[in-house]
Amino acid sequence: MFVFFHNMLAVFRRELGHMVHHRMYRMLTIVLPVISFAFFAVLFDNGAINKLPVAILDEDHTPLSRKLSMMIGEAPGVLRAYDIGDMAEGERLMHEGKISGIVQIPDNFESDIYGNEQTHVDAYISGTNISVNGMLSKDIQTTVQTFAAGIQLTKLQAAGLTAYQAMAQVMPIRFSKHVISNPYLNYGYYLAPIFMLMMLMIFTVLTTIYAIGRELRYSTAGEWIATGGGSITASLLGKTLPITFIMTILAQVMFVIMFRSVGAPLNGSYWVLLAGVELFIISYQAIAVFIITVLGNLRLGLSIGGGYSVLAFTFSGLTFPIMAMYPIMQAASKIFPFTYFTEIFIDQAMRGAPSVYSIKPLICMAVFIVLPMMVMPRLRKIATDSKYWGKL
Amino acid sequence: MRSIGHILKTYWRQFVSVTGNELRNIFTDAGVLLVVVLAIFIYTTIYSCAYGTQVLRNVPLGVVDMCKTPESRALINTFSSGPNTVVAYEPASMAEAEEMFFARKIYGIVYIPSDYSKNLYGGMQANVSLYLDGSYLLMYRQAFQELVAGIGTTGAMVEVQRLISKGTNAQITKSTVQPIIYQTHNMFNPYLGYGSFVMPAIIIVIIQQTLLIGIGMLGGTWREHGLYDKLRPAGERRMATLPIVLGKATAYAMIYTVTLLIILNVLYRIFGFPMNGRTADIIAFMIPYLLACIFLSIAVSTLFRSRESSLLLLLWTSIPILLLSGASYPREAIPDWLYAMGKIFPSSSGVEGFIRLQTMGASYIEVLPQIRILWILTIIYAGLACIGIHVITTGNLSEQIKARVKMRMATLKNKIEVQQ
Repeated sequence: MFVFFHNMLAVFRRELGHMVHHRMYRMLTIVLPVISFAFFAVLFDNGAINKLPVAILDEDHTPLSRKLSMMIGEAPGVLRAYDIGDMAEGERLMHEGKISGIVQIPDNFESDIYGNEQTHVDAYISGTNISVNGMLSKDIQTTVQTFAAGIQLTKLQAAGLTAYQAMAQVMPIRFSKHVISNPYLNYGYYLAPIFMLMMLMIFTVLTTIYAIGRELRYSTAGEWIATGGGSITASLLGKTLPITFIMTILAQVMFVIMFRSVGAPLNGSYWVLLAGVELFIISYQAIAVFIITVLGNLRLGLSIGGGYSVLAFTFSGLTFPIMAMYPIMQAASKIFPFTYFTEIFIDQAMRGAPSVYSIKPLICMAVFIVLPMMVMPRLRKIATDSKYWGKL
Repeated sequence: MRSIGHILKTYWRQFVSVTGNELRNIFTDAGVLLVVVLAIFIYTTIYSCAYGTQVLRNVPLGVVDMCKTPESRALINTFSSGPNTVVAYEPASMAEAEEMFFARKIYGIVYIPSDYSKNLYGGMQANVSLYLDGSYLLMYRQAFQELVAGIGTTGAMVEVQRLISKGTNAQITKSTVQPIIYQTHNMFNPYLGYGSFVMPAIIIVIIQQTLLIGIGMLGGTWREHGLYDKLRPAGERRMATLPIVLGKATAYAMIYTVTLLIILNVLYRIFGFPMNGRTADIIAFMIPYLLACIFLSIAVSTLFRSRESSLLLLLWTSIPILLLSGASYPREAIPDWLYAMGKIFPSSSGVEGFIRLQTMGASYIEVLPQIRILWILTIIYAGLACIGIHVITTGNLSEQIKARVKMRMATLKNKIEVQQ
């Protein structure tokens, strides 16, 4: 046991030496991760979305249609950017990217309303960005409904109802909305942390593959294993643990940026989150060791490992939920530890769920540690036999 | 002094050998082939499949019904009648509902109080509470829309009954209950498909990123192997810059032209992404986009010393660059200075222009500002690519000058000695 630790420490020291002397290590473990965290903190600084530009096509030109136009322009997320004369003009503005929606108020709008005829209002909203579409639809619809309710109230009160009776008549069922977890519906709160985690993961995978792959590529694998006293386990742990430590420190930096600078909520247990991020790092290192051992080639290992890492975001279901995907894609989402950590993050940071709900995803991440154990014999072979070395 | 004809001839020979060599390298090197040719197909297919269903349906909800009357039942039924939500559970209490929410069995809770029916009959307002999950915004949106619609229609029915029972005629009832018929038309992406929304941007960004990493890989390889020296025509001191830059650019332009043809004609049709653009406009747009990406990549590639550098250093940028384009994360949410800075990447103008041309069916004229930026970037990056290639083919400048001076001194010394 003592010999094992001695060997492991020897490799550990050798690895630290590499990290200090190689520019690429410094880039991958310090410079680029910190730059990327800073980027997302700045990108999501606003958190909410500014007012979205729309054009209003008022074909009625009456006091009532002008009042509705004004109300739409005053809606919280709407910027009344243009008043247009016809639909063609609106379409052109949309094609030029100057507006995201058009509201059309028809001729006879006022006379219909006063004449007890139903009238209509149409909104044409671009579907090219569904978040923008969602916000505009909601704001414009709410405004038009409020306007309509005002008309109803006036009519009913004119017919002799009291204000309360009229209100109960216009809106017989009222609802109160409570948004659990993320009450401000703030994008930054949940996107910034998740993208930072993506970065942490990409650099963990790349650094681990690079650390092992470069021993093969530059034919120093023999020296590496010799430093570990010939023990593959000691050599592997001595090599991967320094990366685990650095990534753990980076994760702390990330949490500070997330919860202090971005201001994301932390409604649950910080300790569960911490255990989660540790398993997250280790599971991705395990996958990285597996990939480079199986492929035995630095460049191919980086291409495959990198490709695999970048896919994780889509399959986490954060933006497009997993339950909406085809069954086979739902199954695919399970091969990414990121999916499990996203669940833990949502539970602990946003929802404030009891810790017991995070046990299952924690175990799922831990399962990935089996991967490198399965390929230890192959790692011994490629790390000790020089015919596997020096390949590009 | 050499004739222009001679220069053109050696330039042409170098150009052909660079193009050929680059193509050969791409197709014989599994790592580069994977990035430059295959990655774009693998990624676009996987992403398109992941978003294949396009829309989120049947978000499971829980309803806590404390009223248990035909009226509350009618309200509950409206929540399952639309495509977006389904009442999956009817927990007995809010505590039970919360447990189901944490266990991810339901993503929203509706609470109907015990006085619901009483208030409706008494001509008063009934209250319903909605508890929605803000941590998955798409779930939130689907659930909220469907619930509000359900409550709205149920309310309108109550309104109609109350008016008719008072003897109001049908015409007045209709115009009182719903004076304005409001309708939303979603343009360009009628069903608000997720893939149709995000894939055009992803495709454009992948083109730039695979070029950056792929050209960087081969650039690093050329340098490691001293290829710039091996391809040097006999009798030349070094390779000329222009044939190298143009030769490389031609090789990648050829490959990506074929790639784009397949993506826009096959992938787009298979997954049914919006294709409202005119072919000529898209070609006229893609030419400066590809050129800007290629020259940017050649310029950047001159910074890499070994073949793995480009992937290690550039892979992570894909996500920031996609977000900076303002297509997936709305540009109205990005700090203005950051969005403006993002314009140095061809992908920012590329994504914006391409979505407007292909998804919205805008005309070439309507995306002229983007096309102009892409041509400007093409010129700038072509210049930088030439400078970069020139520097690495001429090697260390100061050393060369020293060597030249030394040689001159030696000849001078010789001459003097001979004269003496």
